[in-house]
Amino acid sequence: MKTARQPKYLRTPGRTLDAQLHLLDRQVLDVDGVPVTTVDDIEISAPPPETPIPAGTPAPTLTALLTGPVLGTRIFGGRPPSSRLIRIPWRDVADVGVVIRLGVRGEPLDADWVERWIRDKIIARIPGGRHDPR
Amino acid sequence: MILGDVLGTPVHDPAGLRLGRVADARFTMNGPPGQLLADARLLGLIVSPHSASSFLGYERTGLARPWPIAHLLRWRHRGSFLVLWADIDTIGTDTVRLREGFTAYSPALNDTGNE
Amino acid sequence: MKRLLGVALGVLTAIGGFVDIGDLVTNAVVGSRFGLSLVWVVATGVVGICVFANMSGRVAAASGRATFEVIRERLGPRAGLANLAASFLINLMTVTAELGGIALALQLASSVQYLLWVPVAVVAVWLVIWRVRFSIMENVTGLLGLTLIVFAVALFLLKPDWGSLGAQVLAPSIPEQETAASYWYYAVALFGAAMTPYEVFFFSSGAVEEGWSIKDLAQSRINVLVGFPLGGLLSVSIAACAAVVLLPAGIAVTSLSQVILPVAEAAGKVGLAFVLVGIVAATFGAALETTLSSGYTLAQFFGWSWGKFRRPAQAARFHLSMIICLLIGGAVLATGVDPVLVTEYSVVFSAIALPLTYLPILIVANDPQYMGEHVNGRPVNMVAMIYLVIILAASLAAIPLMIVTGAGS
Repeated sequence: MKTARQPKYLRTPGRTLDAQLHLLDRQVLDVDGVPVTTVDDIEISAPPPETPIPAGTPAPTLTALLTGPVLGTRIFGGRPPSSRLIRIPWRDVADVGVVIRLGVRGEPLDADWVERWIRDKIIARIPGGRHDPR
Repeated sequence: MILGDVLGTPVHDPAGLRLGRVADARFTMNGPPGQLLADARLLGLIVSPHSASSFLGYERTGLARPWPIAHLLRWRHRGSFLVLWADIDTIGTDTVRLREGFTAYSPALNDTGNE
Repeated sequence: MKRLLGVALGVLTAIGGFVDIGDLVTNAVVGSRFGLSLVWVVATGVVGICVFANMSGRVAAASGRATFEVIRERLGPRAGLANLAASFLINLMTVTAELGGIALALQLASSVQYLLWVPVAVVAVWLVIWRVRFSIMENVTGLLGLTLIVFAVALFLLKPDWGSLGAQVLAPSIPEQETAASYWYYAVALFGAAMTPYEVFFFSSGAVEEGWSIKDLAQSRINVLVGFPLGGLLSVSIAACAAVVLLPAGIAVTSLSQVILPVAEAAGKVGLAFVLVGIVAATFGAALETTLSSGYTLAQFFGWSWGKFRRPAQAARFHLSMIICLLIGGAVLATGVDPVLVTEYSVVFSAIALPLTYLPILIVANDPQYMGEHVNGRPVNMVAMIYLVIILAASLAAIPLMIVTGAGS
């Protein structure tokens, strides 16, 4: 192992993102600025677990931001079944800054289904639910 | 693979010595642009010998205020280093094993960050 | 002049923090048992909340992010969830207490049975949250709540011995019939009440509701510097009235009617009318603040769409969670529990939520990615660090003191 008292700094081209620092637990806004969810976890194109990775294998890519029951498992351990995960594909992400902005509208996304359900079943049924306060 | 599974996993060198735990995963976006943003490729993992929680990132961004907190957190994450994808041998549920002769880089995000 | 009138957010936030139903009774209890020997705690709390509310307002104006969003990002999901659980319970208990407070005040004013007012309070609070625009809500409740100034007026009318009052403030001492443990219990309770986390959650979310941006930083500061000291002043007036009237007579404060006794004595029927309007408005304002806070904290932790500036249909989970909170509050009150007792026990959860709330605010207020050039200056950082230590000490001492003194009895 080569390591110095001050390990050397690696210059990388392009923009760098650290998952915990820049992505996890950040607010996701859709293209209109409406909140969609927070980032509960991240999905990466997987190398097979437990098997040695052959030298020269290309690095995995970040495929999707995850939300849903995965927050509970991130805190308490375990892993939710893959079908219960709600994905926001990376290709929908337009910008990463203080918040993560998508390039698409929030409504058609899977990530929005609980909001839509509650809206349709409950809120829209109460008089004044669609009234614009401005 | 879900990142939450990897974060916090102990990291060992080829001889089995424990080096720390996975504190974070670093991606770079330097490929050809996709529709909106370029693909984010895994550059490597940040390993911290003392604490798996990446608390607030003080050790990487060079942010120095308020100084008692910055000092405390830098001390807690002393010895953190970045190890590249090419130097990772296996990623498993209990351990991440590194290759022979891996290099430990500084985890700083830009060259104004120290350590 | 317009800037001065635009302080409603600060005033309303302070009302919920300093003169909600729990504080109304606690201040009178403190005045009737300790005189003014705990005023220094209120002053310390006012400075502390000014420093942190200003920071959270600045963060909201500079980055558009309200406080609880910042908390999860900075502390991570585990500590963020702990804070959410504690804050949510505080909010829920306080909502319950405020609804009860509204009902108690209306009972005093009308002689109609208290339990009959509870559903009225629940529906009224919900209607305002559902339909009334944020700015109208804060202006009306803020203004009406200020009628509590009548306590200060009553104090003057009582012609107290100012010298002895001043001596109690500047040279505090523990009265003979009280123990040091109960003195410090009330000190911690008053400090915790002045710096209750829902004040910064409400203030920063209100800043986003009002659309404050960088050019409103001065506005934010005026809101803080007018609202919270005013709240502290009202607090102290209530304690002073109790100290002047109730302490010498040995009257223990156990209900709202004793709290307003000094005002009735000093200013007669007119004073009574003002104070009843003030109490109804203050408890109503506090109910609005804490109900909205429950919505804000849940929505901001989970990333839901939130805000009174959005149509309810566009913030469905936000509104549903507040409706559920109000229903739970009403249901708990229907069991006949004493609303003021409920707030005394929320001190326990404050102990957890206080440090977990203020540390992330301080951290983010120093982060140029959020604040641009408006990061904290050195003096603010120093004061804030000192307060973090005080907050930590208070939060560690709260539960042992509560146990030792039996919640101050």
